[in-house]
Amino acid sequence: MAGSSPMIMSSTSVSASSLDLRALTYLTPVDENLCCPICRSLLIDPQTTKCRHTFCSNCIAGALEISPTCPVDRNPLERGDVSAAPIMISNLVNDLVVLCPNTPLGCTATRARSLIEGHLKDECGFVTVDCPGCEDKILRRDLREECMHTEDHESICPQLTSSCQHCSSEFPRSEISSHELTCDEAIMVCDACSVGCPWSGRRREATAHVLSCAFTYLRPLLHEHASRIAALELENKSLKKRIDILMPTRRDSERSENSSGLLDEQTIQILTEQEHIRSDLERLFAAVADMDMKQSLLTIHMSENMRTREEITMIGAAVNNLRSQLLGLQLLTLRQQSGAGSPSSGSSGTSTRAAVGSILPVRRMNEAIPGNDRVKL
Amino acid sequence: MASGLPKRIIKETERLVAEPVPGIHAVPHEDNLRYFDVSIHGPAQSPYEGGIFRLELFLPEDYPMTPPKIRFLTKIYHPNIDRLGRICLDVLKGNWSPALQIRTILLSIQALLGAPNPDDPLANDVAQRWKEDEKAAIATAREWTRTHAMT
Repeated sequence: MAGSSPMIMSSTSVSASSLDLRALTYLTPVDENLCCPICRSLLIDPQTTKCRHTFCSNCIAGALEISPTCPVDRNPLERGDVSAAPIMISNLVNDLVVLCPNTPLGCTATRARSLIEGHLKDECGFVTVDCPGCEDKILRRDLREECMHTEDHESICPQLTSSCQHCSSEFPRSEISSHELTCDEAIMVCDACSVGCPWSGRRREATAHVLSCAFTYLRPLLHEHASRIAALELENKSLKKRIDILMPTRRDSERSENSSGLLDEQTIQILTEQEHIRSDLERLFAAVADMDMKQSLLTIHMSENMRTREEITMIGAAVNNLRSQLLGLQLLTLRQQSGAGSPSSGSSGTSTRAAVGSILPVRRMNEAIPGNDRVKL
Repeated sequence: MASGLPKRIIKETERLVAEPVPGIHAVPHEDNLRYFDVSIHGPAQSPYEGGIFRLELFLPEDYPMTPPKIRFLTKIYHPNIDRLGRICLDVLKGNWSPALQIRTILLSIQALLGAPNPDDPLANDVAQRWKEDEKAAIATAREWTRTHAMT
């Protein structure tokens, strides 16, 4: 439970006067039959009533102040009706073995409950006692019989005096460190030692030194320079990082060898390669332009070609037409030659006219496309 | 606060958590180990069956010499519990004994829910209705349980 742990684990030392018997830890499991019905702890100084119920003496006294009845069966009860419990009961609870309440501090003692108070009073090394030399509280185990002080305590006790190692005057220990900061005899270095002043001497000579120390005058200037250099270094660092990101190949070359000769050689090599690549590129560009021109020429040829093909088809159709008309005319001529009288002149007249009309556009087309031999076929 | 807590309260709290009473929950506040949040399930075969009633419990400075202070926080229709949630129960007053504990007192309250006693009333109007028309009173108690203790 949350409430119990801080009590048990509390690291404050328990003495005979602050001992709480109800807070003890028993080595054996607690027998509920030996517990007081009021405080629910193992009986302490057990008392039995005339109705034969047993309580701690403090508990039953407190209960009777509130109500004159037995807390268990509510029978009327007065102080005179309560007397010491049978000795057997007292022995049963007093002989139970408990851990020393200073177990959390390191005490390993276990005692019968009746002896634990004596243990705290005289034996337990984890009880706090007054230091005879000061108002400090120290653990009993730290006391020494001869001087009543432990070396440990002596080295930290602030009330003891010790002497300054420089001027050999005596001061309480608590003030010695503040004295050393102002002691005239203490050895100190110049304030400007950070910028190179080699002087060191007693504090009382320091004032005279400061007046003649060149480093002191230069210090602000040097500090300013130092801070500027630091700023520049920082900037340089960030720039270097950016370069590394932009040129990963350079990082490799830097890592492998920092010599400038190799760097130059590599740079030259890279530069010549770059030059080669550039001339190659130019040549390629020229070739591409050439190809482009050729391609456009080809496109023009192709479109002309297409147009020509269309015309050829049209002319072919016209030729076919002419051929059929010619065939018709030949047939007509044959019939006229072989026929005796005169066949129907009307029909031949119309066909001749149609043939003449259809020849005309062909001629016009021939004029439009000169130099095309196939038209003659 | 915790360091001033009597051993008995620590022991009782430990036991309430380790071996809880069926139908009863009691949890101490983290910042005040004398103040408990309690909930009691309405007993079976009572008008309060199915309801979960919240209570507050406080252990006064001189506990266990004086009884704990307990009050219903959930509204309840009962002849021995008034509008403010105060409980009329002998062991919480004159019949208190330091041998009683939080768990026994909460069990008594659970028993009181199962056995209302209109002859020793705290809420007079409820007790009167209980005596005049017990059926209607029980119906109201059921109704109140549904509306206030089942959410």
